[in-house]
Amino acid sequence: MIDVDALAKAFGRRGEVQAVRGVSFVAPDGEITGLLGPNGAGKTTLLRMIATLVAPDAGRARVDALDVVADRYAVRRRIGVLSDARGLYPRLTARENVRYYGRLHGLAGTPLEARIDALFATLGLAPIAERRTAGFSQGEKMKVAIARALVHDPRTILLDEPTNGLDIISVRMLRDELRKLRAQGKCLLFSSHVMQEVAALCDRIVVLAHGRVVAHGTASELTAQAATTSLEDAFVALLGSEEGLAA
Amino acid sequence: MRDTVARTHAIVRKELVDTFRDRRSGTVTLLSSILAGPILLILIFNLMARQVDRAHDLTLPVKGAERAPAVVAFLERQQVTIATAPADYEDAIRRGDLDVVLVVDNGFAADVAQGKPGRVQLVYDRSRDRARPSIEQAETLLAAYNRLWGEQRLLLRGVASTVGNPLRIESADLATPQQSGALVLFLVAYYGLFAALMGGMAVALDTTAGERERQSLEPLLTTPARPMEIVVGKWLAVVAFDALVVTLTLTGFYLTLAFAPLPPVGVPFLFGAREFGRFLVVLVPMILMLPAILLYVGSRARAYREAQANVSVLLFVVSLIPLVQLFMQRKEPSWLMLVPVSAQYSLLNTSLRGEAPAVTQLALSWLAPLVLIVVALGAFARRLSRESILSST
Repeated sequence: MIDVDALAKAFGRRGEVQAVRGVSFVAPDGEITGLLGPNGAGKTTLLRMIATLVAPDAGRARVDALDVVADRYAVRRRIGVLSDARGLYPRLTARENVRYYGRLHGLAGTPLEARIDALFATLGLAPIAERRTAGFSQGEKMKVAIARALVHDPRTILLDEPTNGLDIISVRMLRDELRKLRAQGKCLLFSSHVMQEVAALCDRIVVLAHGRVVAHGTASELTAQAATTSLEDAFVALLGSEEGLAA
Repeated sequence: MRDTVARTHAIVRKELVDTFRDRRSGTVTLLSSILAGPILLILIFNLMARQVDRAHDLTLPVKGAERAPAVVAFLERQQVTIATAPADYEDAIRRGDLDVVLVVDNGFAADVAQGKPGRVQLVYDRSRDRARPSIEQAETLLAAYNRLWGEQRLLLRGVASTVGNPLRIESADLATPQQSGALVLFLVAYYGLFAALMGGMAVALDTTAGERERQSLEPLLTTPARPMEIVVGKWLAVVAFDALVVTLTLTGFYLTLAFAPLPPVGVPFLFGAREFGRFLVVLVPMILMLPAILLYVGSRARAYREAQANVSVLLFVVSLIPLVQLFMQRKEPSWLMLVPVSAQYSLLNTSLRGEAPAVTQLALSWLAPLVLIVVALGAFARRLSRESILSST
């Protein structure tokens, strides 16, 4: 479970760029929570704070009751992160890429190899497991990055714009994977600026704009809250403009 | 603690596999380090052999040989081949076709007959290194003839030849046979240092700036690996590769000198197993220090090319220091051992002269590198904990 309370972060010399201003929400286990917002709404900064990469200026964030600042390394063992930057090592094979992360998470030997085999079987990576990732397609690279993020079987999974640059087949594959993880009782936090993406997948939606939460709830709650009939209209109404609504 | 060792070990292993599969930083560096010694030595030895040949069989074009037959006869007795100087001999010297030309003055015979000094002129271009042995030999021979002639004149007048030569100059060259061939000494020591710098360069930049450029750093930072573990793991991997490159380079020198058919140049130059070992001992602080600095410099850049530009300053300093020392030509001050690179260059030269570096000097030469390693690795770890290291998207 992710519990975010009045989280704030500013950048720049004098903190003039306020990326996140007092965000609070809860992402429970067994659900997919969507962070929806236009580009520059603060989604990446928010996810980086939960992923312990960026320290908050104010407020707190906890993963399974562990503080992301004080218990940084304990949090890292519990989370799997598919960040916006998802570079692989092109000279290593798919298996070696995932094995590296497994070892950094304290796995080794037969249990690690068995875990990789299982992940590769689910993701359809088995045939290319021993090939260097240099020549992989975007979809194949994405799958390796997912396997890498899940190698230690994390309970909480953070995904920053995971569908960026993916073709439709890869997007469907990704959705199926995320639903499977939800069925296993994982806590998934998923950011996107594409409304359809979030509507298709998420149990609850946190709408962000200019670093603030402007709405929070299920798709139908949001539609009701905005007094509109479609989620798209609700989104526009909640954001107060049509900016950044690229689908 | 056990986790720390396991994670650091995982990082070292991954970095080494990555490096050996990389054509740019791995294969090319390894190949050039193996070939550097043989190519360099064969070039230098052939150059020196040619200089020695030139000095031994001096061919001296003379203008107006018929005006000074005694001088010409003396030179011929000294194994000099006398040739007729071409009309455009000055241009020929400028072009480098001729090393030195002797011009006998028109009034030579008349001057000598009247008891005045006969004028001869040596024409040469001293800026040409190749010509220098010929020039020096011609000068020495003319000076010798001058003295001989003078002594004969004094004898004719019943004066002992010592009257005109109150000073007898004797030279005692204390250089052991290995101490000659300074150029080769310089280059081998220089190249040993250079190998320690170049060996780790491409790898260190690839694993820092390259990792950032490929966007694989941010995911790495979400794993439980501590910044210091990442830093030490990467450092050990680069150090291992650097040590391999230095060893291969020195092996190249050793094998070439031991087995290659190098022309005999009268330099019983010594680089045997003992010197090989001493070189490695002297270079250890460099093999540890330069990768640490390279990693820090690499971590400051967002992309490989940017890092290459930043590292050129380091390259400049490390390659310039030995040159400065070469041109200083003074007795080295005792604090030199505290200056990294300088100390190592000086100790490498000591080893090449066939002497063992003093233990106190070796110990002193470790001080500054140790401090710099700690500072560089600490700064690298601090950069990894900073938010600004993340890709700005």
